Amino acid sequence: MRKLIYLILFAFLTTTFAQNKLSKLHSKQNLECTTCHECEVPTKTNPCLALCPRDKSKGISNVYKLEKAAKVFEINNIKGEKDIYAPVVFSHKVHAEMSEMNNGCITCHHYNPPGEIVKCTFCHEVDRNKSTINMPDLKSAYHRQCMDCHKTWEEKTKCENCHTLNNNYKPENSESSTVKINLPLKRPITKVYETEKYIKGKLVSFHHNDHVELFGLECTSCHKDESCQSCHNQKLDFKKTIDTTRHSRCESCHSAEIKNQCAKCHSEKETAPFNHFTNTGFDITKYHSKNSCKSCHAKAGNFSGLKAQCQSCHKWNGDNFDHSITGLKLSEDHIDLECSDCHENNNYKKPTCSSCHDEAEGFIVPQKLPGEKVN
Amino acid sequence: MEHKFKPEQMTKKYFTPWVIVLAAIALNGLAFLAMRFFFGIGSVTNLNNQFPWGIWIGLDVGAGVALAAGGFTTAALGHIMHRDKYEVIIRPALLTAMLGYTFVAMGVFVDIGRWYYIWHPLIMWNGNSALFEVGICVMIYVSVLYIEFLPIVTERFIGRVNLPGFLNRFNLLVDGLLRKLDRGLDKTMFIFIIAGVVLSCLHQSSLGTLMIIAGPKMHPLWQTPVLPLLFLLSAFSVGFPMVIMESITASKSFGLKPETDVLSSLSKFVAPLLGIYLAFKIGDMFIRETFVYLAEFNSTTILFGIELVVGVIIPLRMFLSEEVRNSVPGLYIASMLVIFGVVMNRFNNFVTAYNPPYATESYFPSIGEISVTLGFVALEILIYRLFVKIFPIISVPLKNVGLKAKYAIRGGLK
Amino acid sequence: MSQNRREFLKTFAAIGATAATLTAVTPKVTKGKSTRPLSPNRKGVLVDTTVCIGCGKCEWACKTAHDIEPGSINDYNTKLTDNSQRRPSENALTVVNQIDISNANSGKIKLQCMHCEHPACESACIVGAITKQENGAVTWDTDKCIGCRYCMVACPFQIPAFEYHKALDPKIVKCDFCINRTTEGKLPACVEICPVGTLTYGTRDELVIEAKRRIGKDPDKYFNQVFGEYEVGGTSWLYLADKNLVDGVFPKLGTNPAPGVSESIQHGLFAYFVPPVALYALLGGVMWLSKNKEKNEGGH
Repeated sequence: MRKLIYLILFAFLTTTFAQNKLSKLHSKQNLECTTCHECEVPTKTNPCLALCPRDKSKGISNVYKLEKAAKVFEINNIKGEKDIYAPVVFSHKVHAEMSEMNNGCITCHHYNPPGEIVKCTFCHEVDRNKSTINMPDLKSAYHRQCMDCHKTWEEKTKCENCHTLNNNYKPENSESSTVKINLPLKRPITKVYETEKYIKGKLVSFHHNDHVELFGLECTSCHKDESCQSCHNQKLDFKKTIDTTRHSRCESCHSAEIKNQCAKCHSEKETAPFNHFTNTGFDITKYHSKNSCKSCHAKAGNFSGLKAQCQSCHKWNGDNFDHSITGLKLSEDHIDLECSDCHENNNYKKPTCSSCHDEAEGFIVPQKLPGEKVN
Repeated sequence: MEHKFKPEQMTKKYFTPWVIVLAAIALNGLAFLAMRFFFGIGSVTNLNNQFPWGIWIGLDVGAGVALAAGGFTTAALGHIMHRDKYEVIIRPALLTAMLGYTFVAMGVFVDIGRWYYIWHPLIMWNGNSALFEVGICVMIYVSVLYIEFLPIVTERFIGRVNLPGFLNRFNLLVDGLLRKLDRGLDKTMFIFIIAGVVLSCLHQSSLGTLMIIAGPKMHPLWQTPVLPLLFLLSAFSVGFPMVIMESITASKSFGLKPETDVLSSLSKFVAPLLGIYLAFKIGDMFIRETFVYLAEFNSTTILFGIELVVGVIIPLRMFLSEEVRNSVPGLYIASMLVIFGVVMNRFNNFVTAYNPPYATESYFPSIGEISVTLGFVALEILIYRLFVKIFPIISVPLKNVGLKAKYAIRGGLK
Repeated sequence: MSQNRREFLKTFAAIGATAATLTAVTPKVTKGKSTRPLSPNRKGVLVDTTVCIGCGKCEWACKTAHDIEPGSINDYNTKLTDNSQRRPSENALTVVNQIDISNANSGKIKLQCMHCEHPACESACIVGAITKQENGAVTWDTDKCIGCRYCMVACPFQIPAFEYHKALDPKIVKCDFCINRTTEGKLPACVEICPVGTLTYGTRDELVIEAKRRIGKDPDKYFNQVFGEYEVGGTSWLYLADKNLVDGVFPKLGTNPAPGVSESIQHGLFAYFVPPVALYALLGGVMWLSKNKEKNEGGH
């Protein structure tokens, strides 16, 4: 019985507190009152709420979870008398991911009072013949929302970029159609920056391709507050530019170099892309060309030098190494030898036989091989 | 009064080389007119959505109405003020006005897109419209002019009715009707004469109101709220020169001696009238400070200059000179200049001054438009010539002084 | 003789003076008067040119709604690029232009009849074929029009077009605010199709408030003017833009109703028919006097 009373009391208290918290929540937030209220003294009966705090919405955003977001939406709630176009398939997740390089979810979810995410239709009426003149109807809102970004890189925003004509539309492949609308990206291979102050090395060559392809960086790890068109605009040219952000972009990875190793990046001329041999002295073209960076540089994001000895990675010895993978099956005479018996000084190139076999004394190795060739 | 005059039918033969030329011009105009009716206005004119009105309105209607002003000014002088001396010019002026207004109506008829609805203003009224006012006044005035002309018809046919063929059995009946009509007209003519003058004053001024609604589309040199007054004053001034010009032309054409005495005393009125017009025009220009536009040197200001200097100031000076007023060539040239000035003024008001805001190229009348306008002028002259041969219009000196025949329009208060 | 002439001139001067006073005085007295009270519920459209993308769908919808061969809807967004100031015509009641023709990135502006509050065309029309309807639309009546094109002369925005190449039944063509659709409760065709909501249909008075709200909310985005609020006495179609539309797109017009001066003169000259009747009486008097004088002179 006492337990029950406690439970009720607890429930009561939490709910009241929670409610208190909620009602006070927005006033405690770091918000200007005028963001939501149009008059100076809003009351409960007359809150005089602003219609849409669109352009001031930063700061009242809920934190959305990308994982929760739907992958694609089919926008089919606007119907006309005669629809020329099929419902638009909106790849929500792709956009949401990309929004991380921009403003985040609030780029589109510009009005989000505390609580669940409100649907567009919460404010925007579906009917064009709408009751209020203050707000665009749903169709207009969608178009404006999409085109505001799309028009920054599309010279002519064609309807067909998003809409398929009605007769071409097959609902079952809506999933695949999102894949179809994969926008081409404009990515530089190497971008050369010109510095103003650092005279010794005026040019900084940034090998974008290497960072993406070789080092496997995600777009979001560098690109923040980025406009869509900087990647999507096919017309943008990656000319020599003066970078105003200077070191900040590189700092998260190259902080050590920035402090005292200027020459690592600054040079008098454009540098070549990353080459494992010239840059580290370790040639990977022969045996390691098919490996991903990770398979050797296991620690993510850490590419600090590994030892050049094979043994530091390859834990081989005479017992567990199947020599036939090198194309030569060792004969019984040789199979029990230690690796270093033939391959001196960690040199695993074709060894000389002279340490055992005295060529000068006329001892001829049969076929001059310590075994037979296999494929 | 040394000479007595009596209007007579002209007896000279109709066809002369000039008549042939005029007929050719008229036929050419009619050909283009046919095109307009078969293929639409656009096929003949250079009019477009920027320039809805061209010379068919500017000259045929605008200038046409002004030049027909001789009718009401002489009627005012001869009938209302009873200056019997000028009776000799009343009939030619009346005929000119009648034909002039008929051709104004024709001009409107061909210019409006839906000519078959030309009667609409009679039953569909819009009191706010200056054009409605002009339209109604012109319609009534044309009727009045026809009524004023009727006595000439009755005079011509009373006692001379001779219907062809079997219709001749009605000769007596028609004659009787004509006599009755003649008597009726005789008693009521004064109503029509005054009405004619009032209607003329109204629509001559309303014609000026027409372009006021175009507001800033009109060049400020012409756009002014006193446009109706300027139109009325210029109509007053052009009335007598028009009569003088016609009278001299007709005399030359029919081999008569010009009525120099009447014409030169008539011409005394011209200078004051022109002077008043000029004073208002210049005064308005200074009150609205539009003279600043004269500093610009372009086709618009040149046309304004020509209109004012050649069309008003020079003939004003000429009409002030007694020498000019007493010489036939002097009168002729001075009158022509006034006529030219008024034609120019109407053209400028309706065409030159009109600057639509989005026009990419300016309007110039097409060959079709010019042909029709010239054709109408030629046709008017030809009909005039025909009428003076059929009806007693032009006065000739009487050989025997004992006059019983009527020589004047029966009108006026008895 | 000379005495008579002096009298004659006096009479003429009197007539002139009468006309002069009428024309000079009346405009000031009756400036801006309206002949009929405007309905408080009359509709309008707010055109927010900053939103327009120049797709030209409104042109297509307009033609479709007015039985003009529209062609393919997909051809419309290329029409803007020909860098010319197109005008509404008999083949297109509305057109979308670049605000600045030399700049492809400038705003786009839809042009059509502005549906003036005090339409010059309505005032001008000789047969009253043009009417300002209660809902704000300025419409044209095919059963009345005689094709004189005075409305085209009068229109301060140079909107009405004429079918010059029709021999029979040529029409005055202009936007009719989709009167047939709005009476059925539908939206004007252009408003309905606009994909981005450039056009807002509503009560004119509310639209003015909304326009000002938008300017107030975003003063950097908008030029501080609602074009059409006061121009030529106000228009039903209102425009918002990022720059001054006067002189670039629209002609410089005053705030007085376009027919104002003309109507004042017209009504001045015909005020209850007093001036014409007075003139008639005056001339009658002169005629009678001069007749008597002539008789007297004849008696001498």
